[in-house]
Amino acid sequence: MNDLSMRVSRLSFVCATIATLGLAGCSEVGGDVGGDPNRQIGADPFLPAPREYLLPPMHIAKAIGWSKGETPSVPPGMQVHALAIGLEHPRFVYVLPNGDVLVVESNGPKAPINRPKDLIMGWVQNYAGTHAKGGNRITLLRDIGPDGVAKTRTVFLDHLNSPYGVALVGHDFYVANTDALIRYPYEDGQTSITAPGTKLTDLPGGPIDHHWTKSLVASPDGSKLYVGVGSNSNIAENGMVAEYERAAIWEVDRATGAHRIFASGVRNPTGLQFEPQSGKLWAIANERDELGPDLVPDYLTSVRDGGFYGWPYSYYGQHLDPRVMPQRPELVASAIVPDYALSSHVAPLGVTFYTGNNLPAPYHGGAFVGEHGSWDRNPLNGYKVVFVPFSDGRPSGPAQDVVTGFLDSENRARGRPVGVAVDAAGGLLIADDLGDTVWRVTSTGS
Amino acid sequence: MSNDNPQSMASVQSPARVHLHPIHPMLAPFPIVCFVGAFVTDLVYWHTAAVQWETFSVWLLSVGMVMAGFAVLAGFIDFVGNRQIHALRPAWLHVLGNVIALVLSLINAFVHSRDGYTAVIPTGLILSTLVVLILMFNAWTGWSMIYRHDVRVSV
Repeated sequence: MNDLSMRVSRLSFVCATIATLGLAGCSEVGGDVGGDPNRQIGADPFLPAPREYLLPPMHIAKAIGWSKGETPSVPPGMQVHALAIGLEHPRFVYVLPNGDVLVVESNGPKAPINRPKDLIMGWVQNYAGTHAKGGNRITLLRDIGPDGVAKTRTVFLDHLNSPYGVALVGHDFYVANTDALIRYPYEDGQTSITAPGTKLTDLPGGPIDHHWTKSLVASPDGSKLYVGVGSNSNIAENGMVAEYERAAIWEVDRATGAHRIFASGVRNPTGLQFEPQSGKLWAIANERDELGPDLVPDYLTSVRDGGFYGWPYSYYGQHLDPRVMPQRPELVASAIVPDYALSSHVAPLGVTFYTGNNLPAPYHGGAFVGEHGSWDRNPLNGYKVVFVPFSDGRPSGPAQDVVTGFLDSENRARGRPVGVAVDAAGGLLIADDLGDTVWRVTSTGS
Repeated sequence: MSNDNPQSMASVQSPARVHLHPIHPMLAPFPIVCFVGAFVTDLVYWHTAAVQWETFSVWLLSVGMVMAGFAVLAGFIDFVGNRQIHALRPAWLHVLGNVIALVLSLINAFVHSRDGYTAVIPTGLILSTLVVLILMFNAWTGWSMIYRHDVRVSV
């Protein structure tokens, strides 16, 4: 019996040693901590060497929502109110010429299980509250009461298919569903559209539809529509065939529906806007994951006609991604370095240039960016609305935190900012898809 | 139960059995086939860089790990439950070899869960190859218990 227990304990020791050696091989598990996010903001971000993991760093903010009366925080001299609460996963806000506010309530189509890790990602997203059902509709808000809440609230358009971007040109109202760009007739003052839509063009949708949001903006002259089409994977792991005409900004002719690729290699262009001073197209983009907590910084950039921005082969110009095979050296050689890094994994999902007069003067002319927040970085990054100052049509300084408090003191998520817009009175509107709220930021006393 | 079937002098009883049939040899082929399969699909991926082969590999590794869990359970009951089995030198080598193979396969499943080319090349392919070599050694020690030391369920 002694012999047996000795042998069993010897076996346990061997097993434990092997297991320890095995785990030592994955010493990176959860232990890689991100550096100062500020060194990855601006034109020349710090880029560490890429790292690969057995278990990539993951830090998920538990979703708790807002308690009654709680609001995000804004700097002195500004105030924030809920314009509407109880929405169904609001993602994008858009202001019509008469001042009516449209809220696109949406979430992605059900993701297919292609690999075992997709099962795990499903659990992660449930924990983070990103699996909430989207309304698949657009709600119209009008008449702000003394308490800051919109008194009129109607369903503007219903039964959509994971919509994201919307744009009005004259009397044509466009909705970028995840699989098609649809046109609806709109008359000034209308609170609801019942007329059937007309398809202008198909957009890349299923069957995978990994990055499902289709951002949308009309050119200043109204002749073209620009659509941001995200990649169908993190880093082309679903094959390049699945990436056909994706990770690109499309230019769609409004008259014919014909499209061309205006710019490519942009992993997930989640927001498009024309910079008012230069009249140039700018985009925010979500960069790739699983190369470490400080790779790759998401960015804000002007978009050049015909420009290639690296994905999937490289990032920030010629930094090769080791996970892509075969590589395309001739294409990488032409890869453009984005204009302005926003820091890693902040997940910018909304951008708007401030053209109003209500907020303090330093905000005039710059860009507000809604940062949905990280899930694969420790410590958390994003979960706020930042301001990037602009002068002469270019970013002119470090980003500043403007709307914060989406995380509580224990790093639980009360809300997550998405789309941003400027309303008719110059207020800044923020869609919060976790808090199911649209927030409105104005100057104190206005 | 075993008292109803007095052991013969020559054979060694497998404690984990159903209706006088040992369970471990029935379950062991599942992870073996999965891990050998993953090695083959890794080789094909190495030559083609076509993503579906990497997808095959990671599913084979994952299913292999689950089936290995059942096989290990039955094998562990045999090993701990019968003094004659754990007295056998091949049994110890068999346990050691399988522990190493499973730890490597678990790491390999994580490596294969990366996105893109480095999910396989080079670490994934190296691990898949090592595991197949160790499994061949394990098969040797496993079958020598049966053929040379007569581990079975007596009839």
